[in-house]
Amino acid sequence: MGEIRRRLAYFLRKDRFARDLDDEMRLHVELRARKLSDAGVSDATAAARRQFGNRTVLLESSAELWGWGAWERLVHDFRIALRTLRKTPAFTVVAVLTLALGLGINTAVFSVVNTVMIRRLPYAEPGRLVSVWGEFFRNPPPGFVSPEAKWGGPARTNHSVAEFLDFRRDARGFESLAAFRSASGNLTGIGTPERIQGESITASFLPLLGVLPAQGRNFDTEEDRAGAGPVIILTHGFWQRRLGGDPGVLERSVVLDGKPHRVIGVLPPGFESPGQFEQTQPIEYYLPAAFTAKALADYGSRSIRVIGRLKPGVALAAAQAELDAVSAALDKEHSQHTNFRSVATPLQDDIVRHVGNPLLALLGASGLIVLITCVNVANLLLVRAAARRHETSVRFALGASCLRVVRQFLAESMVVAAAGCAAGIVLGQVLLHLLLAIAPTDLPRLAGLTMDWRVFAVATAVATVTGIAFGVTPAWQASRTRPVESLKTTARNIGSQSQARWRAVLTISEVALAMVLTIGAGLLLKSFVRLMGVDLGFEPERVLALNVNLPAARYGTREKRLRFFEQLAERVQGLPGVQAAAFANSMPLRGGWSTGIRLDISGETSIGTDAQAVSPGYFATMGIPLLEGRLLTAGDRDGQPLVAVVNREFVRRFLPNVDPVGRRLRWDEWVTIVGVVNDIRRSGKEQPVRPGLYVSAAQSTSNPVTLSDFAVRASGDPRRLVSAIQAQVWELDRDQPVTGVKTLAEMVSVSVSQRRFETLLLLVFAAVAVGLAVIGVFGVLSYTVSQRTPEWGIRIALGAAPSSILRLVIRQAGWLVAGGVSLGLCGAFALTRFLESMLFEVHRNDASTYLACVALLALVAIGASLIPARRGSKVDPMVALRYE
Amino acid sequence: MLILKTLARGGELHGFQIADSIQETSEDVLHVEEGSLYPALQRMLIKGWIIGEWGKTEENRRARYYKLTADGRKQLDSELERYGRVAQAIARIVQPA
Repeated sequence: MGEIRRRLAYFLRKDRFARDLDDEMRLHVELRARKLSDAGVSDATAAARRQFGNRTVLLESSAELWGWGAWERLVHDFRIALRTLRKTPAFTVVAVLTLALGLGINTAVFSVVNTVMIRRLPYAEPGRLVSVWGEFFRNPPPGFVSPEAKWGGPARTNHSVAEFLDFRRDARGFESLAAFRSASGNLTGIGTPERIQGESITASFLPLLGVLPAQGRNFDTEEDRAGAGPVIILTHGFWQRRLGGDPGVLERSVVLDGKPHRVIGVLPPGFESPGQFEQTQPIEYYLPAAFTAKALADYGSRSIRVIGRLKPGVALAAAQAELDAVSAALDKEHSQHTNFRSVATPLQDDIVRHVGNPLLALLGASGLIVLITCVNVANLLLVRAAARRHETSVRFALGASCLRVVRQFLAESMVVAAAGCAAGIVLGQVLLHLLLAIAPTDLPRLAGLTMDWRVFAVATAVATVTGIAFGVTPAWQASRTRPVESLKTTARNIGSQSQARWRAVLTISEVALAMVLTIGAGLLLKSFVRLMGVDLGFEPERVLALNVNLPAARYGTREKRLRFFEQLAERVQGLPGVQAAAFANSMPLRGGWSTGIRLDISGETSIGTDAQAVSPGYFATMGIPLLEGRLLTAGDRDGQPLVAVVNREFVRRFLPNVDPVGRRLRWDEWVTIVGVVNDIRRSGKEQPVRPGLYVSAAQSTSNPVTLSDFAVRASGDPRRLVSAIQAQVWELDRDQPVTGVKTLAEMVSVSVSQRRFETLLLLVFAAVAVGLAVIGVFGVLSYTVSQRTPEWGIRIALGAAPSSILRLVIRQAGWLVAGGVSLGLCGAFALTRFLESMLFEVHRNDASTYLACVALLALVAIGASLIPARRGSKVDPMVALRYE
Repeated sequence: MLILKTLARGGELHGFQIADSIQETSEDVLHVEEGSLYPALQRMLIKGWIIGEWGKTEENRRARYYKLTADGRKQLDSELERYGRVAQAIARIVQPA
């Protein structure tokens, strides 16, 4: 410790130190000289000096002992590196910008991956949290549609309350389990009526996540059962934004769906439920679970999601085994439970399950871009090292060690890397903002997107590795310079054979990497185009959809709800600019209702089909054409014969060789089929067409549905009708909020937003990669052409036609590009497997895409080589031969 | 080691005096290559075994006087002990059987 202090003290007094030591040594020599002359030695001073030794060397070695030796040499190297880089601004700027581009892209993408996938969840000890899903491992029951169907995942489903309670009782590996379910309600009494999102949770939910209300209390276990008074816990955001941070909030009530709920707690700021990560609308309140006695005993109705916290030290596999044991026991007791099992997955993985693969693929692509920029800069450095052959030779001749020279070159590349890293981080910030602007809104956890320490650490690490990677080759090349040869040759020599080989190798690898990225982008683009071409079966243009959720408190019966909607439809139909209006229990792209029915010709087997309850104007509003029979009319009401309209897929699957009109089907009562309409893709462009039937909203007594969706086809811009429609709603009911206003075209666009995002990103990456590769080819060829100018001069003087030089250069370019393209094709064959989950109806080795990409890249690269080729062919022999 | 021992015996000495003292005490058998004294002194200064203070010689010349520290004394003791062991070992080998 004292040693370090002393060494630091030396730093501060370096010049004085040298002078002092010099004084000391001089004194010593004088005293020795005097003593020697006293003893009679002739020429005592010289003798004394000889006896002493070389003062300068001693001064240096003393200073070196004090100084930090290796560190000072390093600093020296960096200072020299900065100086030489400043002297060649063109090279420095190009190298730094190229690096910044690659690092910037990488940093931005990694920031997203970090925020979405790597950062731990904001709960206590998130490693022990798991999400418990149900799966049907054989045949799903008829009419089952997994909530995961949107993503193409396994047929997962929620649990029933009774199952949850059994888990709680029997699965010992869990420290605690909690259940939750999303809820929504009309908020009235505070500002304009609005429909807000919330969750209904068990008392164990908040403690399981390690959170408790900042004010007030959590729910009690009694409130898990129905019968306790209506209470509510608010989020911090709700308290601040809607109640203005009222300090007396715990005395207030909040009116939801017409019922006042007593506020018993307010959560701390920054808390997000795991269910929030899949929703774009913020969750603003929490209700107690309030399971009814019926729900507690029902194993069939699966409405809740389950999360759990493992006991410390309990492995996931052990907990899964316990769940399986409980499932097996339930299988025996309850028929509704067969072929169902519960699966536990870590909560962190669960939340990002949909976007994990595409994000990692994007990260891989951005890694490829970093590689390309490395190769580019390495090429630049190689050329530069070749130009500095003379300097290096002189150094060797003066006695520099190999290590010293290599260190110098590495210092230069590290400075470039450091500058590139800094610029890259800045660029990354900018790109991150752009990324946020175009990212699909349902990307989980995106709200907290920032660059944290991991991002900087990764950026620095990548920059360091790339600095070493692209610095090592030129440095090693330079260290092998033979001073004798280099000092003898003139500028005509473009460097040794091995240097040229390295340049060729680097350029070929650049082109190969660009090829891989281009093919990836091409495949995604083709997928996207195919996707957009998918016919939805209805016409979403100029259709406005909105939600009107009537609270049960005021609209307790089906008749009341039906009457509201019928009146609304009539009024809206009368508005100017409205072509058609309709209502239903839910619109396309907004989910639906599936059920099991029995056909009269199929006996008692239950068939699964989608179903919807719609108003007569529905088909006109949606633009669904009629194929056979008739549509539903206003005459199909209660008291009239029950009718239904089916779609073509229904007929194709269940009534293939039979005239569907006139056939009957039933849930509880017999319904007659009166018409066939076109198929529609209810859940989006990527989902297969499912059989569906439509019943009249005025008639659905057997399966009472909650009407809530309203749609309007406008003759002009549908958005202009929003306030008029809202006014009509408020005329019917002052407290009724209108929510979820969107045009159907928007909803279609949102449903493909993730794909669009991925495709766009990869296209940008591919463009950058191709650009860089082209610059690389261009740079290398320019350099070789200019170095071979005297050769062109001689050829032309000897009678060669300029076109032959052109052909020569292009042939050289051709070899480079061909090598790169073939290498790239091999890479593409190997790597496109990682894109498979992102493709839509396109095979990962789709021949036409590959061919198109090869042609594109080859054309562009060879096109870039035309410029230096033309320059070479236009050389004036007199100028060239005099150019030395 | 010799420098340390000289300082242990002598109190405060400047560079020339140390060199002279070693030469005299060893009866001219050991000549310290005078210049190499100074890097050695620097090393010991760094390690904190001696400290140097500026003072004046009898002729009023500016010189740096070195003194042993407590750490230096410990270092000297351990070095002397090591030297003693080595000397014994050599003596045992060289002794006529």
